[in-house]
Amino acid sequence: MPFCLDNSMFNFIYNEKFRAVLFQALTFSLVAVGIFYLFTNTNENMNARDMKTGFDFLWITAGFDTDFHLIDYEAGDTYGRVYLVAILNTLLVAALAIVGTTIIGFFVGILRLSSNWLVAKVAAAYVEILRNTPLLLQIIYWYLLLLAFLPRPKQSFDFLYLDVFFLNNRGFYGPSPSFESGTTLFLAGIAIAIVAVVVLFRHARKVQDSTGRVMPKYSWGLAIVVVVPAVAYFIAGQPVGWEVPILKGFNLRGGWRVPPAFITLLIALAVYHSAYMAESVRAGILSVSKGQTEAALSIGLDRGLALRLVIIPQAMRAIVPTMISHWMNVVKNSSLAVAIGYSEITALFMQTSLNQSGYAIEIVALTMLFYGSVSLTISAVLNIYNKHVQLVER
Amino acid sequence: MNQTVSNSITVRWWYWARENLFNSWLNTILSIICIVIIYNAVWGIFSWAILNGIWEAKDRRECFAILGKDEAGNPIQGACWAGVREWFNNIIYGRYVKDEQWRVNLGISILIVWMIPLWVPNLKRKFLIGFGAIGLYPFLASYLFLGGERSWFVSFMVSLAIITFCYNTVDWLGVKAFRVSLADSLRWKMVNRIFAEKQHTFALMGLFAIIAVMLAFLIQDWILVDVSWVRMGGFHLTLVISGFAMTVGLPCGIILALGRRSRLPIIKAFAVTFIEVFRSVPLITILFMATAMFPLFMPEGFELNKLVQVIAAVCLFTSCYMAEIVRSGLQAIPKGQFEAASSIGLGYWQSMGLVVMPQALKFMIPNIVSSFIGIFKDTTLVYIVGMFDILAMTRAMGNDVPWRGEFHEPFLMTAIIFFVCCYTMSQYSQRLERKLSGENK
Repeated sequence: MPFCLDNSMFNFIYNEKFRAVLFQALTFSLVAVGIFYLFTNTNENMNARDMKTGFDFLWITAGFDTDFHLIDYEAGDTYGRVYLVAILNTLLVAALAIVGTTIIGFFVGILRLSSNWLVAKVAAAYVEILRNTPLLLQIIYWYLLLLAFLPRPKQSFDFLYLDVFFLNNRGFYGPSPSFESGTTLFLAGIAIAIVAVVVLFRHARKVQDSTGRVMPKYSWGLAIVVVVPAVAYFIAGQPVGWEVPILKGFNLRGGWRVPPAFITLLIALAVYHSAYMAESVRAGILSVSKGQTEAALSIGLDRGLALRLVIIPQAMRAIVPTMISHWMNVVKNSSLAVAIGYSEITALFMQTSLNQSGYAIEIVALTMLFYGSVSLTISAVLNIYNKHVQLVER
Repeated sequence: MNQTVSNSITVRWWYWARENLFNSWLNTILSIICIVIIYNAVWGIFSWAILNGIWEAKDRRECFAILGKDEAGNPIQGACWAGVREWFNNIIYGRYVKDEQWRVNLGISILIVWMIPLWVPNLKRKFLIGFGAIGLYPFLASYLFLGGERSWFVSFMVSLAIITFCYNTVDWLGVKAFRVSLADSLRWKMVNRIFAEKQHTFALMGLFAIIAVMLAFLIQDWILVDVSWVRMGGFHLTLVISGFAMTVGLPCGIILALGRRSRLPIIKAFAVTFIEVFRSVPLITILFMATAMFPLFMPEGFELNKLVQVIAAVCLFTSCYMAEIVRSGLQAIPKGQFEAASSIGLGYWQSMGLVVMPQALKFMIPNIVSSFIGIFKDTTLVYIVGMFDILAMTRAMGNDVPWRGEFHEPFLMTAIIFFVCCYTMSQYSQRLERKLSGENK
């Protein structure tokens, strides 16, 4: 037994409150000393190397150009603008990859549960091959593959033979809209159509809930979406024109263009994460008890309807949290673009800008701030969804 | 139908196919699509890689020459494995000195032998073996891989690792082959006569330490040739980095998770901030941070080599992920266990270490393994910050003059290496998961 147990002077060591305070004070001082130590070292090093600090560099002009930007940018704009360009590029590729990966993932996930043995095995092979090889390897391989097989601009691959979309080794080209006067009316037409469809769907639901009559809401909705904007378009005098890319010299001009690195990243991210998405979709569907399927089939729904109306809505509760964490991974993994040179935040800001300007700490902090705020936003959305689901669940 | 006919394999197979593949229109169409896909993929790869594969050539041009052209004048597609054969050593060992590569082989073999008992069913003390591998093996491995002069501490740890390794191996081989456990006989026949039961563990540890010191003196003159870290590369480097990530990440993760579940607000706040900050950013930003900022953090005149920077970054990242896994494992342990442990008078560390953690760790293993697979794959990112890992070697082959432009073959090779490792691990973790969930019921 410890010798000081009987000595009342030292009894306070065993007091829980005292211990709590002691341990926290110790940890706090340890961390504080550690941070202070790193801080002084950093300060000394930066002084020794004559490095500048502070966020003023965001207003300094950056001397480099970038291949791809959504907002106007040219060499000589500020680092602040570079940051903005990089963020938008990241968000664009991540958003498109998320849409792609969700669609493929659901598709493959449902195929994995197919009663057809062959289909299930092919889907399983897809998932296992993609999940068990590194993403970076896949990205670089896709990139080399794309560069090896894409033609030169002169032999551009004409997508769908429309003379509108082109694919060559400089990227993917498409038409960009040019707006003339009267566009407002057209946009108003679109807005009216959207509002009308929402009202229609609500009404259809109310009718179905009260009388059980099913309105043909999808065909009506489609008609509204097509007819109203079309009428507005012609009334306004066809205000939107399309600027189609045309071959001039050695390159295509006009329209919009995304570089091969963008296409690669989009394909690689969507395909790689779809394997994970498929697994969580599968797990989610399996988590719905078998009795639900049997009940749905016994009241006369066919397999498709049972899946759509009974199984998927319940499976969503299990799928959505993992799905959203996969979305977060898509955003994070878009940083691997640095290996193939797509100008997203890690490549353009954390690598190029850091090397050019030397403001290491600020740039690392800003990059982390971006990823941190994206993941905070996504988890906030997840929390809202979870609350919503719980309310539905009673 | 005739009994003999319906039992023949072909007929049974046909019935099975009709039941499972062609039972409806949709299924028939899907099956046919699948058969076409499988046929094209398998036949395409087979004819490219095996039928038309070239194994002997001195450069890529010679490969093309051997393959020749078909009647229509198009070049025949075939794999040029000669390049991969020439580069295979680099893909595995990087630029490690050729004469010293046996050290890498020895190190990896020791690890494999060390870990085998974890897969063998019905063995005791798997935890001790696992923790021994995590705690001691890194010292042995680092010395084997890097070599050079060693301090007395490293000497001691290397000897301790050797002894523990031999002891473990003899023990489990003895149990499997002769049903005699070295550990049990040591414990009951020798230690038991001299020491009281409470001191067994300490006595054994003391014994190990004494033998280790003796061994350290014995192997004093055994010094390996110094191999610079710059020469480490290829698959070996990938294994080293992910191995370090695991050995450091798990203990740090446990501490962080305990911090996060702590009732003390300041400790909890630190743990939560640390975990969330590093979990919300991609690994590549942490790697860039490590290479750009760690040199600034160090006191003047103290140089960290890039390998250490990279390993530190990967460890940082892994600890945060492990922390979340450990936390979810701890959450699965019912509160009654904590209460029971404290009601029999155990303090915080005792109840955690003796009651809660052993139960929680068991259920965490599948998650830990799948997270390790993730780390193992993510280790390829060190290529971006300029390490010569397996991916760098794979890329370098395509830039090598005789094999310029060749990328299908090396990438396939690397992909197969990763696939085999990751698939084995994931199957292991799934088997374990099934076993654990069975035990639980």
